[in-house]
Amino acid sequence: MKKFVNDPQQFVPEMLEGLALANPDTLKYVPEYNLIMRADGPDESKVSIVQGSGSGHEPAHVMIVGKGMLDAACPGDVFAAPPFDYVYETTKLMASPKGVLLLVNNYTGDKMVFEMAEEMSSADGIEVKTLFINDDVSVEDSTYTIGRRGVAGNFFVIKAVAAASERGADLGEIIRIGEKVNSVTRTMGVALTACTPPAKGSPLFELGEDEIEIGVGIHGEPGRRRGKMMPANEIVEEMLAPIVKDLPFKEGDRVALMINGLGGTPISELYLLYGQAHKRLAEQGISVGRSYVGEYCTSLDMAGASITLVRLDDEIESLLMDPAEIPIRVF
Amino acid sequence: MSTTKIDDVEYVVHSLAQTAVEKEKEFGDLDAVVGDGDLGYSLARGFEKVLADWDSFKRDDAATFLQQIALAISSRIGGTSGPLWGTAFLRASAAAKTTDTIDGAAVVAMLRGATDGIKKRGNADLGDKTLLDALIPATDELERQLAAGASPEDCRTTFAAKVRECADATSTMVAKRGRASYSGERSIGSPDAGAVAVAVIIERIVADWP
Repeated sequence: MKKFVNDPQQFVPEMLEGLALANPDTLKYVPEYNLIMRADGPDESKVSIVQGSGSGHEPAHVMIVGKGMLDAACPGDVFAAPPFDYVYETTKLMASPKGVLLLVNNYTGDKMVFEMAEEMSSADGIEVKTLFINDDVSVEDSTYTIGRRGVAGNFFVIKAVAAASERGADLGEIIRIGEKVNSVTRTMGVALTACTPPAKGSPLFELGEDEIEIGVGIHGEPGRRRGKMMPANEIVEEMLAPIVKDLPFKEGDRVALMINGLGGTPISELYLLYGQAHKRLAEQGISVGRSYVGEYCTSLDMAGASITLVRLDDEIESLLMDPAEIPIRVF
Repeated sequence: MSTTKIDDVEYVVHSLAQTAVEKEKEFGDLDAVVGDGDLGYSLARGFEKVLADWDSFKRDDAATFLQQIALAISSRIGGTSGPLWGTAFLRASAAAKTTDTIDGAAVVAMLRGATDGIKKRGNADLGDKTLLDALIPATDELERQLAAGASPEDCRTTFAAKVRECADATSTMVAKRGRASYSGERSIGSPDAGAVAVAVIIERIVADWP
């Protein structure tokens, strides 16, 4: 294994330290709780939007803290839910008179920790609610999940609730928006290689040189099938069909289309996939209103990609268009 | 059961913590049969923290004490054990809040709070082959004993015996929750590790009762 790492146990704290040093005006790092928050937060005039998850999915979610996106991110170790006390302390620190929304992808460990934090901080008098995201159409129930997994589609939920929060919406309204966006968002991923967690030092699962895993999870969980490598257009076809069928997306729909790199795939390949997916949707009478190509929710160094579709309406599209100032901006 | 002071609550928690730490390997081996073997490790780390922080806990009343235990356990235990055990203590604390004296009825209310909390947090119920299959019938039994006017000692002994009986009986069940559920039918024949751990813990609490 060749990785930029010192002590694998310090991988996450050292990443967070670097992130804070690179963004001194906008971000604050609280090492006691692995917490990255807006330097000017918490903003008492708005609902605080906090995302929790394991690390290893960067830029999700520590690198999307900033005005117009998250007020804070509460990461655990690589692929591990944050410890309860981190979440509880983060919730208390981010408490605003307008309330706190905890966004969590649907994994059993994260769900339990965040629900417990909600229960305990509610008992302290903090107005706090938890919203679970489950956009992955690949499988029901998985290695770490009851129900569907939450993956890259959570960016759309985050963006919409964060924009609503900046506009001054109350917690109830923000939850309505978050649930609505989650309900029209569908994702599926594919792995060309496994990924290597720094503390493990070897690939998390075996995937043959000529094999791909269709429907892979962002922690390397099994998907729908393992098969031989295929041309890109056939892979897009096999991923897009179950996504479209699931909602279902119909002729005349306007969508946001995201091609998300899983960490080890060049941007060039992501744009190639984008072109294939865009055209395939057009053939079905589905038009792309907003497009997103790049790395959003990764799986360490896994080569692969996921496709996300969101059915747009005026409200969702307007929220997605609001400005956001986050560290992964390119210039 | 006569009125219980916070001393008794402290004793129960301290005994539980000691057992969890001392039986780390035994509980881990139980879990390794069909689960992922982390039960012993998780409980030991959580309750190690409880013992380390023992003198710093506020002892104003049972509710306050138990709430801090909940926080200590779940801060340290990873996986799903932390939130599950933490929630159990949190709900027991909430039940203790509504009463001035910790008598038999309050103990039943605290146990009900704990098991209801585990049900909700773990999305589990009776019959799923979890520690609930030992704790819930034993709590029912405790309630019956109290209603029949049994002595505190008899209540404790019967409670421990019922927990053990029901924990052992989980070996005929199919796991439906947690990592053990991936073993499905293969989980038949071994008792649930969490249920057996609870039986071991309660037997020790009752045997050493001051």
